[in-house]
Amino acid sequence: MSMLAELAEDKAEMEMTPMIDVTFLLLIFFMCTLKFKTLEGKLSAFLPKDVGVNQMDAEPIEKVEILMRVVKDGTKLKRTDNGTRPYTSSDTGRYDWGSDRQMEYNVGPFRTNDLDALRTKLAKVFKDRSGDDKVPATIDARPKTVYEDVVKVLDQAIDAGFTDITFVGAYPDHIE
Amino acid sequence: MNLSKHDPETEMEMNMTPMIDVVFLLIIFFMIITDMTQQDLEDLQLPMAQFAKEDKPDPEIYRPIINITFDGRIVIKREDYYVPELDDLNADPYIRVKEWLAQTAKKMEKNFIQDGATSGPMAPDEPLLIRADISTPFKHIQKIMEFCGEQGVQIWKVQLACSVPESEGPAE
Repeated sequence: MSMLAELAEDKAEMEMTPMIDVTFLLLIFFMCTLKFKTLEGKLSAFLPKDVGVNQMDAEPIEKVEILMRVVKDGTKLKRTDNGTRPYTSSDTGRYDWGSDRQMEYNVGPFRTNDLDALRTKLAKVFKDRSGDDKVPATIDARPKTVYEDVVKVLDQAIDAGFTDITFVGAYPDHIE
Repeated sequence: MNLSKHDPETEMEMNMTPMIDVVFLLIIFFMIITDMTQQDLEDLQLPMAQFAKEDKPDPEIYRPIINITFDGRIVIKREDYYVPELDDLNADPYIRVKEWLAQTAKKMEKNFIQDGATSGPMAPDEPLLIRADISTPFKHIQKIMEFCGEQGVQIWKVQLACSVPESEGPAE
C-alpha cells in the first residue's frame, strides 16, 4: 500500500501532445506579428503634381536640367558562373552592359562623360544657387538609357543636395 | 517482490513521431510564409546606389510596388500586366497597367494638391515604389511615370528601388 502511494506521488507523466500544440500556437503567433525585412533602399523622386489641374502662374524658378545620353552601348554581356562573357545570338534571358559603356551628361552648357565630374558640377551648382532652398532638378534620360544609368545619376544628384527631382517623360525611340 | 524503482527524473521515453511531425510542419510554415511575403517583390537585380535611404516602409500605409524586368515586362504581385511583344498587338497595350494604377490611386491616402489647402482637388499622398532591373531600358519607367501623371491617377511621389552597399549600413 505504501509502495503505491509512493509511486503515485513521484511519477509525473509528460504528455507530448499539448506541448506540440502550444509550440505551434506560439510559432503562428510570432510569425504573424513579426515583419520580414528586405535589404533594399529607395531613392525618392517627384512627378509633376499639377497635371490636369489649373495651375496658377508661377514665377520662373531656377531649374537644373541634367541631360543624359548613351554615346556607346558597350558590349552586351551574359552572366555566367565564372563571370561574364559576350552575349551571342543564341542567348536568351538577362544581359548586362559591359564596362565600355559610355554615357554623356549635360548640365546646361557643361558636358562630360564622367560620373565623378558630373557630381562635382552638381555640387557646385547646388552651392551656387541663389539662396533658395528648393532648386528642382530634372533628369532628362534619352532613349537607350537603362535603369542603372539613371539610378547612378539620381544618386549623384541626391548627394549634391537636390531633394526635388523630377523626370522627363518617354521619348519616341528614334530620338537620340 | 522487489519492485525495481525507475527514477522518474532521468528516464523518459522519447517518442520520435511527434518530433518529426513538428519538423515537417515547421518547414512547411516557413516555406509558405516566406513565399507570401516575397510576392510583391519580383526577382530582379537592383542597381547599387550609395546615397539611398534604407527602405523601412510603414506597415500601416499602403505602398504599391510595381516591378519591371529587363525585357520590359511589367509584373505586379507575380502577375504579368504588360508583356512587350504580346500586349503591343492590342489597341491600348498598357490598359491593364493604367487600370491598376487608377485602382491603386483610389486605395491610397489622399491629400490636397495645393499645399496648405483645406478644399479642392485631391491626389494620393503616398509613394509608389518602382523596382526595375539593372538593364531595364529606362523608357519603360518613364512610361509608368507618365501614366502616374494622368488625370485619374495623379500619383506624384515615386520611389526608385536600389540596393544599398552592405558594408556601409543604412545611409541617410
